[in-house]
Amino acid sequence: MLNASLRAVRPVALRVTRSAQLSAIRALSTTSAVRSDHPPPPAIFGPGAKPGELATDEQQATGLERLQLLAEMQGVDAFDKAPLDSSRVGTLEDPIKVFSLDTERLVGCTGSPADSHDIHWFQLRKDKNRRCPECGSVYALDHQGHSDVHHH
Amino acid sequence: MLSINNLNRSDFQYHPYHLVTPSPWPLMISISLFCFVIGAVLYMHGYPYSLVGATFRLGFINTAATMYFWLTDVTNEGTLNGDHTKEVVKGLLIGFLLFLVSELFVFVSVFWAYFHSSLVAAIEIGGIWPPLAIIALDPYGIPLLNTIVLLSSGSTVTMGHHAVLKRDRRYSIWGLLLTIILAIFFTGLQYFEYVNATFTIADSVFGSVFYCSTGLHGLHVLVGTGMLLSSFVRLVNYHFTDSHHQGLESGILYWHFVDVVWLFLYVAVYYWGGL
Repeated sequence: MLNASLRAVRPVALRVTRSAQLSAIRALSTTSAVRSDHPPPPAIFGPGAKPGELATDEQQATGLERLQLLAEMQGVDAFDKAPLDSSRVGTLEDPIKVFSLDTERLVGCTGSPADSHDIHWFQLRKDKNRRCPECGSVYALDHQGHSDVHHH
Repeated sequence: MLSINNLNRSDFQYHPYHLVTPSPWPLMISISLFCFVIGAVLYMHGYPYSLVGATFRLGFINTAATMYFWLTDVTNEGTLNGDHTKEVVKGLLIGFLLFLVSELFVFVSVFWAYFHSSLVAAIEIGGIWPPLAIIALDPYGIPLLNTIVLLSSGSTVTMGHHAVLKRDRRYSIWGLLLTIILAIFFTGLQYFEYVNATFTIADSVFGSVFYCSTGLHGLHVLVGTGMLLSSFVRLVNYHFTDSHHQGLESGILYWHFVDVVWLFLYVAVYYWGGL
């Protein structure tokens, strides 16, 4: 599984996280942050274009754009854009798992099958399963990120 | 090159969208545009230069400067920070296309005014079009040359775009440079024609609608030239890749839009309206 393999290198990850948090406390504009004496290093970058040559995305894409590209090259989707499993109603014994990199995630339930009822939004936290007040489907957070991260 | 396997997935956001951070530029552009518009209105209503000059210039300089700072931010976010994922680029494209649709309807309204006044000419202007005693411009003179210049610039910009897609840096730079030169040549010819025209914006509805339509088009040519110029600078500075160059694509779309509007202007205002 991609996510399991991604969690392999912890030290690099911690360093990148720190720089990401630094850039969160940013100056008024992106440009001044990039041009400052201590710009946050791009988390990932390629070799760049050769002089006199027009680059490809593989050579030049950086940051999140590069993550998406690398994931595509491996045949996986870097982002989860698919709807949650609505083929069944989640139960306390067997709740619907909600993948999350944060300790909480906003969930919208429309019942089973999908669109059976109006959408109900609720905050799903790591330590507590939640039940949809409309159809009773139970959801559980499948937390896969750092336990100490709490930014944004 | 780092492989995705060596990265911790939770160090990156789990959605592809770019949630922008606080920025001073939306507020700055609002203040600048307000100042710019007030200055323009005061100028058009003949207020003293001591009042108008400062307001108008401050508005213009602030608008231009804020545009520069804001667009530099967007450029850095996309090129240096890698915030522009495929989904973000798609959003930028759709946003620009919607903007073009709104632009299209601005021109529709101007053409509506033109046909309203010209198809059934009022008795006050002699019941004819062009109005009595108005000497319209010769459509086979500079306007025809301008048509050729703009169509040529459309082909050079296409050459530049195809060179970008084929990763030919040399020809893409030449294509864009030629387009910009032709664009400036067009603006120069329009200026020459405005200066030498026998009628002014105050000479009947013909003058008003002529300068409003061709002037609005001329402003769009200036903006399009600016977009192509910024794309040129970014191309020279290695910002674009063969598959990610949305700034350039938007500029090209805008340029073709300006091109098509000119063809309608030439046929309706210069040719049909001038004979």
